[in-house]
Amino acid sequence: MKKQKPISRRTVLRGLGTAVSLPFLEAMMPVSFARGNVLEKPMRMMFFMVPNGAHMPAWTPTKEGKSYELPPILQPLAKHRDSVSVFTGLTLDGARDHGDGAGDHARSGAAFLTGAHPRKTNGADIKNSISIDQFAANSIGSKTRFTTLELGLEGSAQAGNCDSGYSCAYSSNLAWRNESSPLAKEKDPSAVFDRLFGNGDKVSEGKNRGVRLGRRKSVLDFVQEDAKSLQRQLGQADNRKIDEYLYAIRDVENRVLNGDKLKIGENGVPNFPRPAGIPRDWSEHCKLMMDMTALAIRSDATRILTFMYRNEGNNDGYPQIGVAEGHHDLSHHGKSEEKQAKVQKINTYHMEHFAYLLDNLASAEEAGGSLLDNCMIVYGSGISDGDRHNHDDLPIIMVGKAGGKLAKGGHWKFPKNTPLCNLYLWMLQQSGINATQFGDSTGVLEFS
Amino acid sequence: MTLSSTSNFGVAFLWFYCCISATNNVFGIDWEKRNLEFSTVIQPILKKVCLDCHSGSEADAGLALSHFQNAKSILKERNTWAKVIQRLEIGDMPPAEAAPLSKEDRARLTDWIRSTINDIECGLTPNPGSVTLRRLNRFEYQNTIRDLLGITYKPAEGFPGDDVGYGFDNIGDVLTLPPLLMEKYFQAAEEISQLAIKTPTPGPAFESRIKLEDLKADRGGSFKGGKFAFVSNGKVSFDETLPWKGMFRLEAGLAGEAVAGEGPKVRVSIDGKKLKEIEIKTQSDDKAETVPFPFRNNSTKKTTLSIEFTNDFYAEPKDGKPKQDRNLFIYDLKVVGEKPPIPVPESELTPVHRMIVRSTPQSDGSVLKAAQTCIQPIASKAFRRPIKKDELERLAKIVVDATEEGDSYEAGLQLALQAVLVSPHFLFKVEVPASKKAAEYPLLDDYEFATRLSYFLWSSMPDQELLQLATKKQLRDPAVLKSQIKRMLEHRRSSEFVENFAGQWLNLRKLDQFEPSKTLFPQWNDEIKALVRIETYRFFQFMMRNDQSILRLLDADYTFLNEKLAKFYGIPGVQGDEFRQVSTKGHKRMGILTHGSILAVTSNPTRTSPVKRGKWILDNLLATPPPPAPPGVPELEKGELRGTVRQQMEQHRADPACASCHKLMDPLGMALENYDAVGRWRTTDKGSPIDTSGELPNGESIKGPGDLIKSLREKNTDQFARCVTEKMLIYALGRGLEYYDRCAVDKIMVKLTKEDYRFSLLIFEIVSSDPFQRKGVREEL
Repeated sequence: MKKQKPISRRTVLRGLGTAVSLPFLEAMMPVSFARGNVLEKPMRMMFFMVPNGAHMPAWTPTKEGKSYELPPILQPLAKHRDSVSVFTGLTLDGARDHGDGAGDHARSGAAFLTGAHPRKTNGADIKNSISIDQFAANSIGSKTRFTTLELGLEGSAQAGNCDSGYSCAYSSNLAWRNESSPLAKEKDPSAVFDRLFGNGDKVSEGKNRGVRLGRRKSVLDFVQEDAKSLQRQLGQADNRKIDEYLYAIRDVENRVLNGDKLKIGENGVPNFPRPAGIPRDWSEHCKLMMDMTALAIRSDATRILTFMYRNEGNNDGYPQIGVAEGHHDLSHHGKSEEKQAKVQKINTYHMEHFAYLLDNLASAEEAGGSLLDNCMIVYGSGISDGDRHNHDDLPIIMVGKAGGKLAKGGHWKFPKNTPLCNLYLWMLQQSGINATQFGDSTGVLEFS
Repeated sequence: MTLSSTSNFGVAFLWFYCCISATNNVFGIDWEKRNLEFSTVIQPILKKVCLDCHSGSEADAGLALSHFQNAKSILKERNTWAKVIQRLEIGDMPPAEAAPLSKEDRARLTDWIRSTINDIECGLTPNPGSVTLRRLNRFEYQNTIRDLLGITYKPAEGFPGDDVGYGFDNIGDVLTLPPLLMEKYFQAAEEISQLAIKTPTPGPAFESRIKLEDLKADRGGSFKGGKFAFVSNGKVSFDETLPWKGMFRLEAGLAGEAVAGEGPKVRVSIDGKKLKEIEIKTQSDDKAETVPFPFRNNSTKKTTLSIEFTNDFYAEPKDGKPKQDRNLFIYDLKVVGEKPPIPVPESELTPVHRMIVRSTPQSDGSVLKAAQTCIQPIASKAFRRPIKKDELERLAKIVVDATEEGDSYEAGLQLALQAVLVSPHFLFKVEVPASKKAAEYPLLDDYEFATRLSYFLWSSMPDQELLQLATKKQLRDPAVLKSQIKRMLEHRRSSEFVENFAGQWLNLRKLDQFEPSKTLFPQWNDEIKALVRIETYRFFQFMMRNDQSILRLLDADYTFLNEKLAKFYGIPGVQGDEFRQVSTKGHKRMGILTHGSILAVTSNPTRTSPVKRGKWILDNLLATPPPPAPPGVPELEKGELRGTVRQQMEQHRADPACASCHKLMDPLGMALENYDAVGRWRTTDKGSPIDTSGELPNGESIKGPGDLIKSLREKNTDQFARCVTEKMLIYALGRGLEYYDRCAVDKIMVKLTKEDYRFSLLIFEIVSSDPFQRKGVREEL
């Protein structure tokens, strides 16, 4: 009891890239549930995007309604069948060319969560629209420490115009804060971990946290003044950049001030080893990022999350499952059965990793059910058949029961050209957001 | 411009140049004549062959040409007309089903449109364009931290990827600043400031918390309900053995109940001697105030501390008045002490610490003065210009405030450094707008110019020499500028230019993602991947440092290899790990097109892709990206493609919708079929002999890589040089090129042609060009 020595609260384990189950502490549960308070069920909204469309014959169930049978690509979800809704016939009109020519991959990536038709440019004046996650966050994001999280398994593309004259910003970002500011995604699981649970090791100065935050405040004040005085001097295009800067500064400030919103108790850090970095093996990388997703959701660090499997148009192969050819090349299958079979293999492989996340979320109890019950998780692609580049009849599923508002999943068919945004509008309303329109929506999707 | 038109290029080019001079006269452009030409010659051709489809809001491909009423109106939609030229020259417009367009009319149309949209570009003062505020990208950030503080900050590699525009990752318009990145900047600033500035080690600390439940009062008090409560006068005492002599304090969490406005009084004694007596004002039952009682400890043996409640009062309720009861509650007791901080020993101070902490409050008289002395030079370096008075004052105040709150002076300086490192003046290359004087667009100020120059060639901040020249306003002197460019290119930092410019121009960064099939290409591995990249970097670096003609990039008969890479290529006689210049005469290699890096990055994981290779040449060597494929790549009704790569491509080309572009790309790529998907020489593919013959769109028959390279080098000299110039100008400016930049490019081309396309001349001309030197305006099209 005599001398006090600062002790690192967390042991950093290294080298564990493999899948680890998540033994959670009760302390990590959102406070409201730990105390048995079930008044507010937190609704989670997540969006997962896979590139290059899907092999639709193996994606679309034959029967409609609640007693549909899972088609081959959806088989990995068998355990969660009751929570899976399959939507056939949804359309992303914004991803169509509308006279702009080629570039379906960039367009469908950009439009996937915005429903907008992005402006064709590979540099200046990128223009898209606010994405559904950010739209929702504007209403409900303040309840958690992170308004939203943007994750993925691939960084922004490194060089070249990404797709037929479309900026890489379109094909490598799902979340858009407004029409010109895409939100970069994090692909390094260790960096996600540090964001979620602090990086106390590196910045401990033997001072308590409050003091450190107070100091940071003085730095924030200084740079805010700098930015504001610059704002007065600069022109319009430059000021867009300063706006971004100020927004980011305020975001950091909020996090400083709202640090206590992380409801994981005094011990703070979950019993999960800090990942060492990005595993080389794709599957390990993906699973670790799914683990980070689960950590973020289960610790209630955020309730809104976007996840980009790969940038749209990605052409990597998956030799570990016997598909050495690039995914994008294969997706232009020219009706080759062999190529289509390989596309299906990739689709199924991706789905297996999604199931890995669902298993995790379903295993967490919450409010007398499972956490998955209080989720709406969209998974799909903005392209239907990769060979035709069509944007109607998209492969789209949603998992979760929306807090009990959906009793059971099913397979629902809609008339041609029903906007995907109608589903998003439905989701907004389930989250208690009073919206009547989003993107190119024409009404609330009706199903069940 | 297509390959077929390049034979005319020289002529067209000279013609442009005449126009530049022509428009310099006071009369400007003869619009009357132009309008007449438009209505009598051009409009009739358009009506006959184009407007059937390209009219009004329903125009094909969204490209309407019907609403242009005179020559001047064309200028409002230059991009549209640039597209028209492109398609006319490729020859896929008008399509077969439209009215035919004679060769003469086609030439008349393209020449007229081109001269019209280019003509007024270069008057006396063409718009030099405006660069949107550029954030440092992650490479620039890391380099700048290194050159500012001598610290290699590795985590910058983990910053979110910088978005790419126009092929480069230093484009102001697309370099966004998401909150995620801001958070990382803060984290980085904290870590870097701690690496840079050493703070005194806090002295040893002592802390002992007293268990209240073990305490016994001589009278009047007892422990219950989590607190020690005195209901009448009394005293508790406890013993501590303090480890050193010096200042300690008793910290007591106290509250009480007052009577007649007077709270309970507490007397603290040390070894029976009264230290202090105070009154407790805090009334609440669940909130205590922490009261410090500092004392000097003179013994390392047992010390007895006591706390006494001295003004108890109690009265029963009487005459309707409630009962009156004064009590004292103790919630917490601890004895704490710290030895003074231990200064960092001189021997452990790093050079960067000495550089920054050049003054202390002891030597300079006050924290404020000392802080200003320290901050002024480092913040000026960081902002790449002299820091302003108010900035300095605000930064120094951060230090003063921190020390007043109990931080060390050095910790305060850390904070000021953090503020510098997250300031927009550090994170962005700020260029403050200046107003246009008379006809001239304003020049960048000298510091802004030095910053552009150094981020162009070094991807980092200007060094002392550049900043000094900026201060003296000498950097723009052509002789000085030339010698500075020479110095900069010879400096090791110019390797950043090689990696960031050449690496992106030639798409070498994409090599990271290239994972060819291990079964088909067992010779390829991560090491070879690294080596082929080094080969191209070394090659480019050699060109640059030895001031070669940029045309040698295409046809040099040497390259740079070490033993492993030479073996991979099958070139004998190279020993050891060191890269060295190796003649490739007789080894089927010549210039960058035969580098493994470029051959691999344009291949698929299991096979070569002549289409990708052809497209790569059109995109990156000739700056004539093939027009995008028609929307919704049509399904091939014939079913699966079969046969060799060449046969498959021929089947593909049989479709007229594909043919117009593939006839441009495919022959270029086919000529390189002698190199497999990882860039090794071969003469057969899956047992069949390779046929590399083909016909270029200009009708020239070629056979194999040698012919292709020769044709590019000899027939497309200007086009290649223009392509390199444009790419480099984009990179240098950090923005895409606009129509008005063509004037600057034309001027550079004139100089280059005269002096054999020397590398250093290209750099000098870019740096001297108006778009690089001046602040123009952004024209929204």
